Parts: sequence; C-alpha cells; structure tokens
Amino acid sequence: MTQPVYVLGAGAHPWGKWPDKPQLQLALEAIDLALADAGLGWPDVQGLVAASSRFEGGMGWGLHANEIVQAVAEQGIPCVNVGGACAAGAIAFHTAHAMIASGEHEVVCVIGAERMPKGFIPRPPGSQDDISDSDYLRWVAMGATNPAYWAIEAQRRMHELGTSKETLARAAVLMRRNAAGNRLARFRKETTVDEVLASPMVADPLHLLQICPVSDGAAAIILGSEAWMKRTGRPAVAVAGCAIATGSFGDPGRRIPTIASSVRAGVTHTSEVGNAVARACAMAGIGPEDVNVLEMADNTAWHILAWPEQFGFYEAGKGDWMLERGELDIGGTLPINPSGGFLSFGEATTAQAVLQICELTWQLRGQAEGHQVPGARIGMSAVLGLGANGGSVILKA
Amino acid sequence: MSAMVADGLFALHGDEPRLIGTRCTACDTVYFPQAPSCRNPDCREKTIERAVLPTRGILVSYTVQRYQPPSLFRIDDWQPYAIGLVDLGDGLEVMGMLSGFAFDGIAIRTPVRLVAEPLYADAERGLVLTYKFAPEIEP
Repeated sequence: MTQPVYVLGAGAHPWGKWPDKPQLQLALEAIDLALADAGLGWPDVQGLVAASSRFEGGMGWGLHANEIVQAVAEQGIPCVNVGGACAAGAIAFHTAHAMIASGEHEVVCVIGAERMPKGFIPRPPGSQDDISDSDYLRWVAMGATNPAYWAIEAQRRMHELGTSKETLARAAVLMRRNAAGNRLARFRKETTVDEVLASPMVADPLHLLQICPVSDGAAAIILGSEAWMKRTGRPAVAVAGCAIATGSFGDPGRRIPTIASSVRAGVTHTSEVGNAVARACAMAGIGPEDVNVLEMADNTAWHILAWPEQFGFYEAGKGDWMLERGELDIGGTLPINPSGGFLSFGEATTAQAVLQICELTWQLRGQAEGHQVPGARIGMSAVLGLGANGGSVILKA
Repeated sequence: MSAMVADGLFALHGDEPRLIGTRCTACDTVYFPQAPSCRNPDCREKTIERAVLPTRGILVSYTVQRYQPPSLFRIDDWQPYAIGLVDLGDGLEVMGMLSGFAFDGIAIRTPVRLVAEPLYADAERGLVLTYKFAPEIEP
C-alpha cells in the first residue's frame, strides 16, 4: 500500500555558534519544538531518521538517531542513520517519507543536528592518501578550497553571461535582508552592495559576505499519515514531491572535490540536484512555474543566480534580471530563500536540508513571522551534498 | 632530487610534465586522474587504458585564492595564487594552479601549456613538484 504523507510538526534551534551546547542537546531541543508543534510526544513517535555526519556526536560513528533515543526514549523504535554530506537532511526526510508512505509506520521524526568544526571542513579520518581520492589530490596538488570551486563558476558566469560584480553582491544583500526578519538566522544585519564589495576577497570574484560560513544548528520534522495529520488540528501541509538523486555523466559542473570533469554537451549543470528537482516535480505533478517559494542551498551568491536557471525555472542569464527587478524578493514572482538562506545562517551541514523543509512548512501555514511570502501554497527545497548527492522536497498547503 | 605531489598524477619527460589519465577505447571518454572504470552509463564495454593527456589547452575560468588553504596543502613561502580550469580537448576540463600570470591580467580563453614547478622542499623527498598551467605565449 501507499498512503499520503503530511508534515505534522516543525522545529529548529537558532543557528549560530553554541560552544556550550553539545550536539545532542541541540537535537533534543529541535525535536521537542517539532513534537510540541505537532501536539505529540515521544510515545507517539514510531521511528527516528537522523541525517548523520562524523564531525561530532552520534556515538562516534554517526549513530545520531540511536544516541537520541538512548538519551530520551528507549521505546524500541527503528533508528535509521543516513549519510549524504550536506544533502543528508533531504535523504533522511526521503527515508522517513518512505517509512510512512509504505504504510509501515504512522509517525516518524526526521532530525539533523550539527556542531561544525572551526574553519575549513577537514578530511575525514581514514581516507586514502593517493590518486584514487580526489579530496586528497585537490589539497596536495593545488590547495583548492571549496570557495575556489564556486569562484571558478562565478568567474565563468561573469564571462559568459555578463553578470556584474554589483549583481553578484546584490544576491548577498537580498539574503541578509530576508534574514533580518527571521529570528532563527545567525546573521540578521542588513548589508549593502558597497559593504559586500568592501568585505575581504576570498576567491575572486567572491568576497567574504558572498560565501556561507559554517554554523551550529538543529532542525526536526515530524511526518505522519493523514489520520495523524487530522489529530493535530493544524492546516494540512502535504508532502507532494520528495526525491533524492545523484549526478549525470558529462555534468559540466566543477564538482567538489574532483580536479577534472569529463564534460558532455547538453547535460544539466549540478545534475544531482537537477535530477532530484525534476523527479520531485514529476511526483507532485507540477512544474517549476507552479512554485511559490524556493528554499535552495546558496553556498555562495553565485548559486542564487545560477541554480534556478540550471533547474528550469527560467533561461540561462535571466537570474540577473530577476534579481535586479525584485522578482526573487519575498514579494516577487519567485521568492528565493525568504529564510535568509545559507548566506545568513551559515551551514550546519546535515541540519541544513531539514531546516529548509521547516521553513517551507511555516511559509505554507502562514507562520513565517517577519519574512512571510504572501499566499504561498507550493514550496520547494533544493540541496546539494558532497559525492554528487541531490535532494528536493515539494510541500503543498 | 625531486618528487611529485602524488604518484601517478603526472610524469616527467625531461623537464616536461605529462598528465596521466585514462581513456575508454570503447566510447572514447577521457578521464583525469586515472580512473578505475569508464563512467559512461551507455558504455557497456568499459575497456580502459592509460592515457597521456595533451599538454596544451584553453583557459575556461579561474580564481585567485587569497587565503592560505589548510595544512594538507604544503607550500613554501605561501602567497596568494591563481587556480585555473583548462579545457584540454575531448571534453576534458582540468583544474590546476596557474603560473606566470599577473592576477589582473588573467583572461578566459587564453591558450595555456602544462609546466611542472616546485611547491616545497622536503628533507627526504627533495623538491616536490606539482603541475601548473602557464600562458602559451609569454605576454
């Protein structure tokens, strides 16, 4: 059997640097908020899916879900821990969705919680130091940081499509303006084009304020069947589409951490996300033109301009025009990241995609206080993870 | 005495470096670095062989890295440096450090050639070389 799946509750701990809170506590606070939002308690939860990393916590092996139930609810429920780097939250959501859609469970919790190491994200222990590991080569042969990859994309866009440095700065300004109204965001001070361009150059043409830093944060979603949705008394938010994907052969994207690509004509850029978006749309029976609000991974200002073009929202080069005309603003035709996005939150890797879905839930319920997209009925998330992982979720009010 | 940053990445013919990749003889796709298999989903044979890659290409894009990368990247006398993306033909685009460019004079579409230059001196291995791309015609 298959059954429809609904978001019953959403909860998130504010993003920031929280040196005094262990990752477990961040996770528990987010889950408590999500359960309270759904009007449920731990005894109602029939399964827990955690987006897991090995940065911290999770009993040292990424067993985050197990750590959580052993801390607060030893009730025999299945725990699933999924990897997927920065897309892990979307993969955890996809797993939880399947656990309910299949009819096996009625209420499942999704959690992503992360405390990030300081500075650059390190290589995981136990990696191979030879040419079979791109994440070794990119460091020893050329020292290519993540911003260097994004900068190469942005530079190419400026060359091909004539994107100006001011437009690229304006994308960061928009994210900060949106975040000013969101109490969960870490960077809530509005900025200007001049300020962005005056911030230190990290990797030309990208300045510090155009690149997402790392943060600590946690987000949780309670998914449930229709019967359980009706018990909450909340406006229904249905999971209309939900897909995960990997990349296509010949993708022209400069994929971190590889040092070369074998490019074929006509293949979608960042195809792992494009493939997920296309499948989520097919499942929901909608096209990009039907989306009222898009929460997407803006690791840099370049992503804000490029991603909607790559995934078929409009043609290549139109992103600049959309941004300049205010069409990507909260009141525009395609509001992007009313939350403030990664640029205003900083990235708490595994928690990020879960937070995107929390944000969409609040938007569709009309609860996005301070940054509400008027009349939003259909919301989409899009996220990318290392290893060519893509995820996309479509919610409908 | 000199050594290379990683075994199997490139080879030296005298002073001239050659990138070592993989070619699928069935579908003609070229990979860098050496690949354990052809990745083309439409290619059934996946018959691969070692391939010496072209030493000349066209600059597709670039950046200047202004902050020092983490310590896994070893370099003597660190200074900001440029990284380029170079089209070597047959759809293969390779990233590498740039050499011999002024930061304000890097232009997309510039013809470049492969060179080998030292990154650092190691007590046991001697001068450790990496590959870089330099302008084809000195400005």
